[in-house]
Amino acid sequence: MDKETIDSLLDPLSVQRAEALGLQARYVVEGYMAGEHKSPYRGFAIEFAQHREYAPGDDTRHIDWKVQARTDRYFIKQYEQETNYVSNILLDGSESMQYGSGRLTKFQYGKALAACLSYLILHQRDAAAVGIFDQTMRDYAPRSNNRATIHTLMQRLAAFQPTGQTNIAGVLHDIARVVRRKGIIMVISDLFDDEEKVLEGIQHLRFAGHEVVLFHTLDPDEFEFPFKGLVEFEGMENIPKILTRPQEIRKSYLREFDAFRTRLREGCEKNHVHYVTVNTAQPLHEMLSGYLAFRLKTTTR
Amino acid sequence: MGFLNPLLLAGAAAVAVPIIVHLLNRRKFQRVVWGAMRFIKASVDQNQRRMKIEDLILLALRCLILILLALALSRPAMKSSTTDIFGQTKVTGVLLLDNSFSMGVSDGVETRFDKARKAAEQAIDALPAGSATAVLLASDIAQGLIPEPTYDLNLARKAIREAKLSDRASDLAPAIQKAIENLKGRSALRKEIYLVTDGQATGWRQLGDIQKSLEQTKTEIKSHILLVGSKEDRNLGVSGLSVAGGLTPVNRPIRFEVQVTNFGKEEAKNVRVTLAVGSEPSGDEIIVPLLRPGETVGVSLFGKLRTEGFHPVTARIPDDRLLADNKRTVVCRAIREARVLLVDGEPGTEPRDSETFILGHALVPVPALDRESYFIKTTTVTAIELAATRLDDFDAIVLANVADFSETTVKSLEQYLKRGGGLMVFPGAKVNAGFYNDILFARHAMLPAALGAPEGNAEQEEKYATLQTRNYEHPVTALWNNPGAGTLASARFFRTFKLEPAPENQKQVVADAGPARVVLRYASGAPAVMERAWGLGRVFLFSSTADTAWNDLPVRPAFLALVQRVLGSLVQRQDESLNVPVGQEFTRQVSSDLVGRDAQVSGPSQSAATRELRRVELINGVPTLRFAATDSGGAYEATVNDPPAVIRFAAQPDSRESDLTELAVEDKEKLKTSANVYDWSPGVSLRELVEKERVGTEFWLPIALLVLALAAIETWLAQWFSRAK
Repeated sequence: MDKETIDSLLDPLSVQRAEALGLQARYVVEGYMAGEHKSPYRGFAIEFAQHREYAPGDDTRHIDWKVQARTDRYFIKQYEQETNYVSNILLDGSESMQYGSGRLTKFQYGKALAACLSYLILHQRDAAAVGIFDQTMRDYAPRSNNRATIHTLMQRLAAFQPTGQTNIAGVLHDIARVVRRKGIIMVISDLFDDEEKVLEGIQHLRFAGHEVVLFHTLDPDEFEFPFKGLVEFEGMENIPKILTRPQEIRKSYLREFDAFRTRLREGCEKNHVHYVTVNTAQPLHEMLSGYLAFRLKTTTR
Repeated sequence: MGFLNPLLLAGAAAVAVPIIVHLLNRRKFQRVVWGAMRFIKASVDQNQRRMKIEDLILLALRCLILILLALALSRPAMKSSTTDIFGQTKVTGVLLLDNSFSMGVSDGVETRFDKARKAAEQAIDALPAGSATAVLLASDIAQGLIPEPTYDLNLARKAIREAKLSDRASDLAPAIQKAIENLKGRSALRKEIYLVTDGQATGWRQLGDIQKSLEQTKTEIKSHILLVGSKEDRNLGVSGLSVAGGLTPVNRPIRFEVQVTNFGKEEAKNVRVTLAVGSEPSGDEIIVPLLRPGETVGVSLFGKLRTEGFHPVTARIPDDRLLADNKRTVVCRAIREARVLLVDGEPGTEPRDSETFILGHALVPVPALDRESYFIKTTTVTAIELAATRLDDFDAIVLANVADFSETTVKSLEQYLKRGGGLMVFPGAKVNAGFYNDILFARHAMLPAALGAPEGNAEQEEKYATLQTRNYEHPVTALWNNPGAGTLASARFFRTFKLEPAPENQKQVVADAGPARVVLRYASGAPAVMERAWGLGRVFLFSSTADTAWNDLPVRPAFLALVQRVLGSLVQRQDESLNVPVGQEFTRQVSSDLVGRDAQVSGPSQSAATRELRRVELINGVPTLRFAATDSGGAYEATVNDPPAVIRFAAQPDSRESDLTELAVEDKEKLKTSANVYDWSPGVSLRELVEKERVGTEFWLPIALLVLALAAIETWLAQWFSRAK
């Protein structure tokens, strides 16, 4: 694996800022490694959390006798079990992700995002799995908490060339069926698919107990539609060409587009899914640290 | 409805331009590979219909603008329209202002020309805004003050105010023709000619032609003729002035013939005619007791030319209302002596037997003692001595019965004539007719006629020919029209050569040869004396001898006058050009040391400050002074400072112009059929008269405004349609 791929995918500034913020699971996750490792993490990561007054029915094993001796009251010691989580990072590799008005295409941006996230997760000794899909899962790197896996991940990310059409909903349903352990599913896509079906897929994942984060990756051109003069739009995914004067339909386009995003966001909110709008014009580190800070603030412990 | 620029209607084909641009534009677009197609598709589905309609509206507007633009440029006009909604249609006009000298008739307050200028200014004031007019001065030619119509009407007014009266005659035909030609090619709806003139009949002498021209263009060009000035029944004029003898020696009384004509309709009594030489205040004078209407009286007045050189001689009558014809000036060149070379072809043994004996005495008719002081000097040589004689020392050469001479002599004779020498040829028994006919006549065209077969017999006295008794046309013989001057008819010609004039096309063979003219005829009508100009010189050819061998003319009193007048005509040949009709170019050969110098020319009425400069130029190798601006009658003076030289010349106005007879009433009526004729006086409002005639409207302006409005709408719509939606 050449150094360049790592450099281009792992933005040092993004990684540096993201490391400080960390990526915490918002909901209970099922760590699969409990008791499997030795030092320095012996067994469960068991940490004292708080005292609670004893109530009948509590296991007497957890009564803090020292407190009882001092205060003559029964208190129960509560512990918090720390576990690691498995994060599935799903990157849309359909042809529409190839669009890019600026330096980066949506796919390149998505790859960088996926790389940073997986590095971050692996760095926290959580497990990450990375999948690239279009109509089906094209390339899937199974979960791993080995930091060295990052190289393999990036190699796979770098090697992928988007070609096909997209079917996000199908892929999400598949994932929901395949991934048993509750974890975090991160979807990086422009979501140019039937949003109803996409939302159904997300719902499926949520029902399976996963936390879902949706990185809706879009190009600034798609937000602003700045074209002028006579333009022929050539569809990327087998849609016939359209010749039109874009400035005359700009408002209408933006209305449609905003409605689409609104429907997605509302659907996500309904399912308690983080919907993150990613503008590829925004530097990755800004976007990522912004989201992570938000996430840190809203995560319940 | 018609179009003034119908060719520009083809510009409507430009309607194809927006369509082509539209089609071309459809092939020129940016290609974007795009992901979010469903939103575009949704938007396009919503907007497609509206965009198509908008496109069609814009296309239709653009096409309409181009069609209307082509329409406006082709200047549609409705001639029969009587409305002035869009303002009066602009006029393109030509204003002709008569400046012939009859316009100088004054009514005591102002001249006809002053009135004409006012009328012309009124005509310009009456033009609708935006009109254009040319201003031409009409006399016997049309001079363009503003040759092409100008929109600057103030310039036209200025030109009219500064227009000057000339001493030219009037003939309105060329001016009207020029005005018509000027307007003919122009694309204007209203074309008008204004002619401001007096109603003098002579100006309309080509009335038929004028009317024809006006009639032909009547539908296209409206003509307005403004007649100014009131009737004038009294006018006397000096209609002629000339040197009677032809010779102008210094300090000898010279007879000048003055013609005075009564051009008016009333008798004139006791008309005082004066003659002044140069700037002398007074000279000879005579009273003409009675001049009936239309009568011309010739009087002889004497004057002396005191010094050698050019002298203006002016004849005057008392001033009347037309000043220009009350005096007339000629310029004479006073000569100290005239040298004549007599070439005797038959010297004889005794002086009185010689061929030139009588001729010599006729040229110098004074006693032997006075011969030295007489201004004509003769030298007699024989035909053989001729070859050795310097011809340029003489003003005239007489060949009397000279058989023939060498080719060299012919050559030097040719040069001599070319430079202005005079030649008198008398035939006789010894003459070699073949030489005269082949060399002098046929090859060099020096002689005005060939010598035909001799007629008659000199040995008898019964049969003879006589000369004509009246209708002398040549200036040399015009004297004998007056019975008091003696007669030529008494002379008897027993034997003569038949003079066979040069054919019409001979001039083409020899460029220097002028037309042959008959000076004197026999009673039978056959020419007796002929002449022709040759180069700057002149040749006279007689048909009989200079002595009494073949005729008895030399012993008749009239012979002296005839010979002297012929000599005068020969000597004066160079000076004929000194007197030109008004308007004709003055051309004179000058001495070669003046080449390249500037001559200051001042006219009769010009101050020293307004002198004009003319450079002496070489024309066909001859140093020549030319001056064309001889619009005023009177004496002109051309001065060269270094080397000092003064040349005077004079321009004579056409005496026909003095006839102030008005255009006949029936002619005026005839003219009214093809033009609007107004009798203008300062109180008449021309605008009302003329505006009635001006109907018709052009529509380019409203169409152009519509185009502008449509263009504005198109711009706004294009903006509106292409706004972000």
